[in-house]
Amino acid sequence: MVSDQYETESLCPVCLKKIPAFILTENDVAYMYKICPDHGRSTSVLWRSKIPISSWIRNKERAFIKNPVTSVKQGCPFDCGLCEEHRQHTCTALLEVTQNCNLNCRFCFADSHPAKEKEPSLEDLRKQYQTVFKVSGSCNIQLSGGEPTVRDDLPDIVRMGTELGFSFIQLNTNGIRIADEEDYVRRLKQSGLSSVFLQFDGISDEIYKKLRGRPLFEKKVKAIENCRKFGIGVVLVPTLVPGVNTGQIGEIIRFAIDQAPAVRGVHFQPVSYFGRMPHAPSDEDRITLPEVMEEVTKQTGGMVSAQSMKPPGCENSLCSFHGNYIIEGNVLNPVTKRESCCCGTTQAEEGAKKAKAFVARNWTGHDCETGEQQKVSSDWDMILQKIQRNSFSISAMAFQDAWNVNLERIKDCCIHVVTGDLRLIPFCMYHLTNTEGRSLYRNLEKGSLYEADAVRTMDP
Amino acid sequence: MEADKNEKNPWMCGRCQRALVLEKVKVRYLEGNFEVELYKCPQCSQVFISEELALGKMLEVEKGLEDK
Repeated sequence: MVSDQYETESLCPVCLKKIPAFILTENDVAYMYKICPDHGRSTSVLWRSKIPISSWIRNKERAFIKNPVTSVKQGCPFDCGLCEEHRQHTCTALLEVTQNCNLNCRFCFADSHPAKEKEPSLEDLRKQYQTVFKVSGSCNIQLSGGEPTVRDDLPDIVRMGTELGFSFIQLNTNGIRIADEEDYVRRLKQSGLSSVFLQFDGISDEIYKKLRGRPLFEKKVKAIENCRKFGIGVVLVPTLVPGVNTGQIGEIIRFAIDQAPAVRGVHFQPVSYFGRMPHAPSDEDRITLPEVMEEVTKQTGGMVSAQSMKPPGCENSLCSFHGNYIIEGNVLNPVTKRESCCCGTTQAEEGAKKAKAFVARNWTGHDCETGEQQKVSSDWDMILQKIQRNSFSISAMAFQDAWNVNLERIKDCCIHVVTGDLRLIPFCMYHLTNTEGRSLYRNLEKGSLYEADAVRTMDP
Repeated sequence: MEADKNEKNPWMCGRCQRALVLEKVKVRYLEGNFEVELYKCPQCSQVFISEELALGKMLEVEKGLEDK
């Protein structure tokens, strides 16, 4: 029985042309249906839950980009830059410091590999930082790739960012070099690195062999230990692949709690099908956001309640959930609670400010981990210390691929990748690839589907 | 405001005209629950929060718990 339906716009997974799409809920499952006049029908599951997709949606009053890079010529998503019609500010800007990697994973957003490709120079990266500052101000920065730690000059890249005024710089890494080279970690900390976004798919080597091609659990543990030594906050980032590691959600959370306060939280990423993937996805290849929430509750024996996990205030509601907690003993006590009412409208700009502040505050490492004791003179100081040391977050972000992309969500995106030609591209649009692995914005030099158009929309 | 037990309490409850006493009080912000020592009326349990505390440590705690 169809209980809910609405219309939006999407892309054809074959030719990436813009086409109308319909989101229909049938028996607690929301699907996207779309038809390309040239390539036919495509259906993808979006949401499987007794919580209706419509009840998760929060209305926001859009933000306006103060210094758009591109003007609107062909309409979303073909003018990314950011364009003047984009509806949310940058919360996190990603700088891809290399396309090279020391792994060759079965799943990879970036389709990175061990081969040596030319890396952006420090001067190129300075221009990227400056572009972010001009368009988005002092937002949070994530250094990504490829595997950023293949660069020996990564500490210089971090320092450049801090000197240019970015106060929160996070490293997205598989953790191998972080585990192997303590001195490298020390130099990253001295350069101003706040946080490590650590690829962490589970607590058994079988999972790493399946997803990453080699056993890595010990490396992950060692990487966390080295971050703890130097007061760098760690967020564990599991890519959730049905049939591989969705049964480890609870164990990952328990492991993360054991590793707190070095580990500040877990950020799940349900697998998306772009970049490098084994095959085109069926519905069974996906785990949707509410299913992740249900597994979090189930696999933690109810310690993490469903009500403690909320829709976001920054990005589009359908992109993520999060819950904030304080660790007491080995238990998570919730700080957040999902409101049953979704009425009213909030300001997107306010949501972006709060999200930036939250990430910078809660995902940063603290000096108390390096042995410095803080002065505690009252109950309020004790509470502050507890919040600083014992805050813990559980969150997830559902990236969009060519099969399930909803352009309304793209317009609300707050995570933007900086390109070599100094544009800021919403994360999913940057990574999205068609059935042949070709993209709209990534690897333009390799021949994007819309290269000519994309270049034409550039402002001088 | 950091309450000092040895300091003579200058505050009276406006409603009950009783001198406030320092006591552990449960406070809650969002879903976070904590216990802190605050001046409290022994009769009606109304607590006194000074401007200094409200705009100082208490605000720091609120900001620390703020959601995104």
